[in-house]
Amino acid sequence: MSARILLVEDDRELRATLRAALEVEGYAVLPAASLADARAQWQHAPVQGRAVDLVLLDLGLPDGDGQDFLAQLRKQAGVPVVVISAREAEGQKIRLLDAGADDYLVKPFGVGELLARVRVALRHRGQAAAPAITHYSQGGLDVDLAAHRVRLHGQDLRLTPTEFKLLARLVRQAGQVVTHRQLLTDVWGADCTEQTHYLRLYMGQLRAKLEAVPAEPTRLLTEPGVGYRIVEPDEA
Amino acid sequence: MSIAKPIWPWWPGVAVWALCWAALATLDGTVDVANLTLLLVLASALASLWLPAWAALLAGVANVAAFNWTFVPPRHSWSVDLHQHVLLLLTLLGVNALVSALLLSQRRSAARAGQAAAREAALRSWGDLLRDATDPLVHLGRLQDLLSQVAAVPVALWLPEQLHAGTADADQLAGLALCMREGRALGHGSGWHEEQPDIYLPLRGRGATAGAALLAGLGSRRPEADLRAHLQALCDQMGQALQRAALSLAEQQSREAAREQGVRNALLAAIAHDYRTPLATIMGAASSLHDQADRMDLAQRQRLAAGIVDEAGRLARLTDNSLQLARLGAPGVALRCDWESAEEIVGALLARVRRREQGRRVHVRLEPDLPLLWCDALLVSQLLDNLVDNALKYSPPDSAVELLVRRVAGGVLLAVRDRGTGVAPAWRDRIFHVFQRGQDMPDLATANAGSGVGLAVCRAIVQAHGGTLSLRGRTRGGSSFECTLPLREAPEAVEAPETLEALEAPEPPQDSSH
Repeated sequence: MSARILLVEDDRELRATLRAALEVEGYAVLPAASLADARAQWQHAPVQGRAVDLVLLDLGLPDGDGQDFLAQLRKQAGVPVVVISAREAEGQKIRLLDAGADDYLVKPFGVGELLARVRVALRHRGQAAAPAITHYSQGGLDVDLAAHRVRLHGQDLRLTPTEFKLLARLVRQAGQVVTHRQLLTDVWGADCTEQTHYLRLYMGQLRAKLEAVPAEPTRLLTEPGVGYRIVEPDEA
Repeated sequence: MSIAKPIWPWWPGVAVWALCWAALATLDGTVDVANLTLLLVLASALASLWLPAWAALLAGVANVAAFNWTFVPPRHSWSVDLHQHVLLLLTLLGVNALVSALLLSQRRSAARAGQAAAREAALRSWGDLLRDATDPLVHLGRLQDLLSQVAAVPVALWLPEQLHAGTADADQLAGLALCMREGRALGHGSGWHEEQPDIYLPLRGRGATAGAALLAGLGSRRPEADLRAHLQALCDQMGQALQRAALSLAEQQSREAAREQGVRNALLAAIAHDYRTPLATIMGAASSLHDQADRMDLAQRQRLAAGIVDEAGRLARLTDNSLQLARLGAPGVALRCDWESAEEIVGALLARVRRREQGRRVHVRLEPDLPLLWCDALLVSQLLDNLVDNALKYSPPDSAVELLVRRVAGGVLLAVRDRGTGVAPAWRDRIFHVFQRGQDMPDLATANAGSGVGLAVCRAIVQAHGGTLSLRGRTRGGSSFECTLPLREAPEAVEAPETLEALEAPEPPQDSSH
């Protein structure tokens, strides 16, 4: 059955375009033009038969802050949320990611990018309840979290414990951006959230071991000013 | 009062009387008593020149009495021949009084002339001091000193909405505000609120009042008109200086505003111009798809659609640049600086560039083990985006564009080099600040549509980071845009704590021993 997407976007043209693009891919779209509209749709969706599987949330809404809606969603359910932001809303975007949004898109974005984010977010849907990802495989890189083993093109790779923790944290959200703060909190501890330079150093070391050309990474991608993302795993 | 004090010493007066008595003693017996009295009159008149009026009179009376005792027959007795000696006595007193009065008035007018000259000099030097000051407010303390020296009372100064020097109670504050508002003096001698113990003087400029001065308690001393006039003149000089300063500030601000308006207009014109080209392509391709799609094959339609996507991307970059230029131009802009890796910023840039067809031409040379940069990653990304975009646009489609990052003295060099036609030496500096010059839009920016806003943003970004951006010609043709960002000492990184097991939590328990 096709996934249901709640699309919260106040601009009529963009909403229509995104809706068409998503429907072509087989998703069912519930369009909303404001926060109030989005809340109403969210309430009614389960009554109409099926709950929402994913929320695309624009930040610049006429009747309030997207953060309030995100907080409400996070309190009620583990539904994936992808934030749509304009370039000016940089700070707000990072706040929302740290508050539990799954990923983000900066306007203007291509449909290809949108569909990739949606696909990844849906794959991670309900992960809190379901068994976590324990294995990651992409382009010759195999990471077995359970066995603490990393192989590149069949060769075992030796990673330091910190490098492994960092890689493991990214793998758990493969395909999605993980903010600096989230990485620092989960790998170094809650008192290290400002120490971005730790990340620079260990990401450099990881790239030196995992990337063919570390200066032009194809696996461990940087989202400048936001965080890091490991590319989506190969389709099983 | 101070003017009544004797200016000369008193002892010559005493000496004159002593000489007179010596002459009397010598001439006694040879000259008739009636003629000796003339010596007394002369001595009395001369002594008045030196002695204060009361002393001269007293000395006159005492000497006439002594003369009477010594020389007037019957000698050594106080009996006076009324007819002759009363006349002598009265003549003596009259001469004394006349001389003293003349001298007193002469001394007073001399003192007044001296004081007027001193006040004039004080006004002149005060005026010179104020004329040389760009901000007369720094001399408020000096005005307070001058006024309190001259008037010998405490002084407070009020400029619009608050006290700037001295102290005043609520009534006095109200008086100051009233004096300033009405622009006229208040208190004794002003004809307005004469009963006030204090005197309030306005700091008057031409046609406007800049403030007011409070001379506490001066009104009760009933100062003379010329003292009040002098105090008012001191105040008015400050008022005029303040007004001059306000006028010149307003003039400077309006010049500045006009210049800013010019820059803004040039920027808006350049942005509008830069938008037109991609918009034309998008409009052409989209309308073609809209009107003629049924007569096109799939390849034609896809080519048009690809053109729309590319040009929309260009518009997005232009928008980012325009927004950034506006943001960086605002006063007190805050950068979101953090420790950043040049390698990562370049890596993310390459990922974006490679998506475009021309992106394959970009070659990267990164020095190994580069230090971390303290910078705003988004801004530095935008800087490199613009430089690379520029290089791709203005160099032949088959030539290489090189992105070079290495350590240099005092910083890290980020250079983008192309093999394009290059930029004439005269333009190499000006190309970065086409919008600083207001009206005259350079031909270059018009010809190379799109480079103007992008390079202006680059310059603003580098400046915000305290770095430098320059353009160098290359020996075998082409341009090298070279940006140097200053280095800060980077902190050390540490291993993750072993005890932190947050990541292990979801794993099966048998693996936790690993």
